[in-house]
Amino acid sequence: MTSPLFKKVLVANRGEIACRVMRTLVEMGIASVAIHHRVEARAKHVRLADEAVEIAGDTPVAAHLDIDRIIEAARSTGADAIHPGYGFLSENARFAQAVADAGLTFIGPDAETISLMGDKISARNFAEAHGVPVAPSVMPTGDLDAFIAQAEGIGFPLLIKAAAGGGGKGMSIVRSASQLREAARLASSEAQRYFGDGRVYAETYVERPRHIEVQVLGDGKGGAIHLFERECSVQRRFQKIIEEAPSANLPAKLAADICESAVRLAAAANYKNAGTVEYILGADGRYFFLEMNTRLQVEHPVTEMITGLDLVRCQIEIAAGSGLPLTQAQVTATGHAIECRVCAENPDNDFMPETGVVKYLGVPEEPWLRFENALDQGQKVTADFDPMLAKLVVHGADRAEAVDRSIAALDGLALLGVKTNIDYLARVLDHDAFRDGDLHTGFVAEHKSDLGPLPLDETELVQLLAAAALGFRDFQNLALGTPEPYSAIGGWRN
Amino acid sequence: MAIKLTLDGKIHGVTIARRHPHLVLVIDGVEHEVSSLPALGDGRKSITVGGHEVSFSRASLRDRQIVRMGGRTFDVGVVDPFSQGGAGGSGQDALKAPMPGAVVSVQKRAGDKVARGEAVVTIESMKLQTALPAPRDGVIAKILKGEGETFEKDEIIVTLEPETEKA
Amino acid sequence: MRKIQSMISTSSADFRRYDVHNRRVVSEFRAKQEAARHQRPARDLDRLAKQGKMRPRERIEKLLDPGTPFLELSSLAANMAYDGDSPSASSIVGIGVVSGREVVIRADDPTVKGGAWYPLTAKKIVRALDIAMENRLPVIHLCDSAGGFLQLQSEVFPDKYMAGRIFRNQSILSKMGVKQLSLVFGHCTAGGAYIPGLSDYSVIVRGTGAVFLGGPPLVKAATGEEVSVEELGGADMHTSVSGTADYPAATEDEAIHIGREIVAQWDRPKKWDCQQETPEDPAYDPEEIYGIVPDDIKKSFDMCEIIARMVDGSRFHEYQPNYGTTLICGYANIWGYKVGILANNGVLFNDSSLKGGHFIELCNQNNTPLVFLQNITGYMIGREYERRGITKDGAKMIMAQSCSRVPKFTVMCNGSFGAGNYGMCGRAFDGRFLFTWPNHQIGVMGGDQAANTLAEVKLNQMKRAGQVDQSEVDRVWEETRKAYQEQLSAYYSTSQLWDDGIIDPVDTRNALGIAISASLNAPLGDPGYGVFRF
Repeated sequence: MTSPLFKKVLVANRGEIACRVMRTLVEMGIASVAIHHRVEARAKHVRLADEAVEIAGDTPVAAHLDIDRIIEAARSTGADAIHPGYGFLSENARFAQAVADAGLTFIGPDAETISLMGDKISARNFAEAHGVPVAPSVMPTGDLDAFIAQAEGIGFPLLIKAAAGGGGKGMSIVRSASQLREAARLASSEAQRYFGDGRVYAETYVERPRHIEVQVLGDGKGGAIHLFERECSVQRRFQKIIEEAPSANLPAKLAADICESAVRLAAAANYKNAGTVEYILGADGRYFFLEMNTRLQVEHPVTEMITGLDLVRCQIEIAAGSGLPLTQAQVTATGHAIECRVCAENPDNDFMPETGVVKYLGVPEEPWLRFENALDQGQKVTADFDPMLAKLVVHGADRAEAVDRSIAALDGLALLGVKTNIDYLARVLDHDAFRDGDLHTGFVAEHKSDLGPLPLDETELVQLLAAAALGFRDFQNLALGTPEPYSAIGGWRN
Repeated sequence: MAIKLTLDGKIHGVTIARRHPHLVLVIDGVEHEVSSLPALGDGRKSITVGGHEVSFSRASLRDRQIVRMGGRTFDVGVVDPFSQGGAGGSGQDALKAPMPGAVVSVQKRAGDKVARGEAVVTIESMKLQTALPAPRDGVIAKILKGEGETFEKDEIIVTLEPETEKA
Repeated sequence: MRKIQSMISTSSADFRRYDVHNRRVVSEFRAKQEAARHQRPARDLDRLAKQGKMRPRERIEKLLDPGTPFLELSSLAANMAYDGDSPSASSIVGIGVVSGREVVIRADDPTVKGGAWYPLTAKKIVRALDIAMENRLPVIHLCDSAGGFLQLQSEVFPDKYMAGRIFRNQSILSKMGVKQLSLVFGHCTAGGAYIPGLSDYSVIVRGTGAVFLGGPPLVKAATGEEVSVEELGGADMHTSVSGTADYPAATEDEAIHIGREIVAQWDRPKKWDCQQETPEDPAYDPEEIYGIVPDDIKKSFDMCEIIARMVDGSRFHEYQPNYGTTLICGYANIWGYKVGILANNGVLFNDSSLKGGHFIELCNQNNTPLVFLQNITGYMIGREYERRGITKDGAKMIMAQSCSRVPKFTVMCNGSFGAGNYGMCGRAFDGRFLFTWPNHQIGVMGGDQAANTLAEVKLNQMKRAGQVDQSEVDRVWEETRKAYQEQLSAYYSTSQLWDDGIIDPVDTRNALGIAISASLNAPLGDPGYGVFRF
């Protein structure tokens, strides 16, 4: 056996993704270091790691964003590389640079690429320059009047968003000139508030857009391949909840075009490591570059499911300088995969985040199922972190089977003690429009009236109440605590 | 006595009619035979109601049961039989001093709404500070002892508005 | 055990005639019981409703574990007394299950004269507490009584087995470690105040519950002090000032919940382990009893047929099947409990008396509770039998029965006359429970015999006086017979609390099941007998 590519990797993340990364580290014979805030000292990722370092911080999130302390943790534990996971510092160029400066390997692209892609405007310009289609847009100038004049020139509807942001913050859709000024002003102030950068930009808004993204791997020397596309059109609050690979009903030629453009972009950027190029796709088949995510995506398992690859392993190999692990021709796709994001939220109340405690976790076990999580029974679900609790990833021979299996898996999944969207996800998957692949990012809003909780019929109500009643100790004592012969005689009166 | 369960804001009565040869539950006035009884505690279980077995998961959360059945999750509560009058029936209108002492601080004012258990005044007695809680939900009628005032054991410190009959 | 082979033809003319007759007898009983339980002047019910009070039977239903039985005792007590003014003797007594514990429930009935205690009320309560003592059953008192019925104070107050005995029994119960709980829904005045006072636990309903030795009118008359019910003995006063009561409750419902919670804290005493099998329904339909018991007390019937409709699987192991055949003895199970049954199949002769005495001894050796099924006209009389020592043989049976250490249960099935009543564990012999069928008659002798005897006496007097007036003799015969007939009836018997209640024959199995279960709470007595006359 050859010696491992790294001795020890610090995973600068938490939750399911930290556990996911560590799983591959174990397989590769690489030691792991976890970081954690005081409140998560007994979390699963900490227990899974070979070593753990507590990072002080006013809030748990602050701890996970503390570049200096994290690098210090890597140094003190003798880690030779850092895997950032997703979120937190994963797309922070300063962090990537600091890691490099510390003489450690950042498992991801270099700081320069992160900067390039991290700014929506520079990324878009770069994409446009390399023949990747972009939506007609207005660049921010800082001059609101000029911005508005130009925006009107493109026509409506328009999407206005923060130049520096992501995740839907500072985003709005403008359908007429009369709304434009106010929308631009609001977006700008929101962008200022969230990202400290008030620049906004506007682009053609694609009606009923689909979110298509391409998984790419780059060797950092102009070599790049794609691992096919994913569809992430089902979203709520501008965030994905169901992703699949390959996309539903995407003509092969179009899919190939999109993937090819993504490879072109990655190659042009000398992209290193795993990345995702995101597009919006209109009903007319036009697609526009949206952004590039310079990290592992939440939904990477669907790509793994159809390609049989371990993307974290690919990342590590590339980071260690082994080059691309396979050629484009070697990449094959089998069947269909769907990922459902299980979140602590209330779909019946505008998906507001929920808190609680994981009183019981029951996960169905199937060879075609992955349940990515870091949950422990008894664990509190607080507002400290993202409401995503776990990912349920299912593979099927075709899309229909993947849908059926996902529904069955969701039905069999029990995560009790905090409100989740599990029931809701199953309702989405079971919706005719979903089964038909009639997807777009407004799916959730469009079908809202069909996606409410199903009413209980008489029989189900009785089963439920009986099951619940017997869960109460007082009631069970009553049911089982009657001595004989009273119990056998029953409700007799003389 | 029936226990009253709540589901989506509706109240359902559940009681027992017979136990042999099967448990017969009366749910909303209708009898149903339940022949396998799920054990207490959280986890995956099954129950046979009217001859049909159904599996489910259940977790108890304080005074609620979270039940996942048929791919749906339900939150079933129980109406506390003691809640109407307050357990131990403490429907007093007066907050009395448990021991002699002095008022350190007053957290509420006359007319304020208070919830049962909410601190109304803090007293000091025998070098020990104690927050006196409201004996029931209600409205403060009078604060009879202000900050710094002293009192004897059982002296009334705060009165609540008398409870109006519930409709 | 072998199944009894019934010889009854359910299609026979006799069966059908008896069936019609007995169903009528039972429906008369049910009608009387229904009236005693529920027929009340609207005025009293309105008053109760206005006070926001439940009716006493509603309280009991809520107190009991749902879907469990309640064996009500003496539902027709006082039905022939006080012109019917005190249905059920103004008190409800029974055995049931509360929070999984077997208990005696005793409730005042405020729908009758404010729950005032009549003489027979006191007798019924004393009996309820005797049952609690004999069987070590905890008692739950549902208090709501105005106190003693003053018009009849001489029959309520002074004697040994009158009201004072209630409080004496409460104290002794407590000394025995048998728990008592009082739920005070209404007033507990004067002596009644001691019921919660002598209970281990008490809950009192705010606004309607009150406990005091003298109510406000008495206080005003005695000292001139004017005081409200709440101040004098209300829930908050007693639970926060006097400590006379333990838990205040906002409503009757809450009081019942608190009461149930209290009972749930009680230990479950170990019963002695009577032999048990898995219960089995009788193989013959118990309702066939209606077609077996004849429509005339003078007609005989085979008690084996009754046993077959009462015991588990109709199985019966008969002891000495060919000896002393007028007394059936044998083993059976009732709701799983092994019992020894003694049942009359005719007059008691020397051999049947000896057989009975011997079987009782066997059951005492074997820790087997005894069940007596009475249908007895007495021990055989006449020169021949006296010469054979019928009296000393009867005495042996009475000795064995009286000194039994196992619990005894008696069912009055048809007739109970003369000393047969004694040998077969009549009321005087401390059976744990005694139930009567509605067709039953009891007396030192039958109505006709008594009338004949007294008419004979009268005729002899007249003959001595030399003037015989046949119409006067007939009048004596008629009056005697009428008076006897009334006093012989099951209703008179149960009115006087000579039993623990009339039961529908079909209910006998359940009533005995509960009675046996209850009896096992008390430890077996010490073995031993007096001197048998051989």
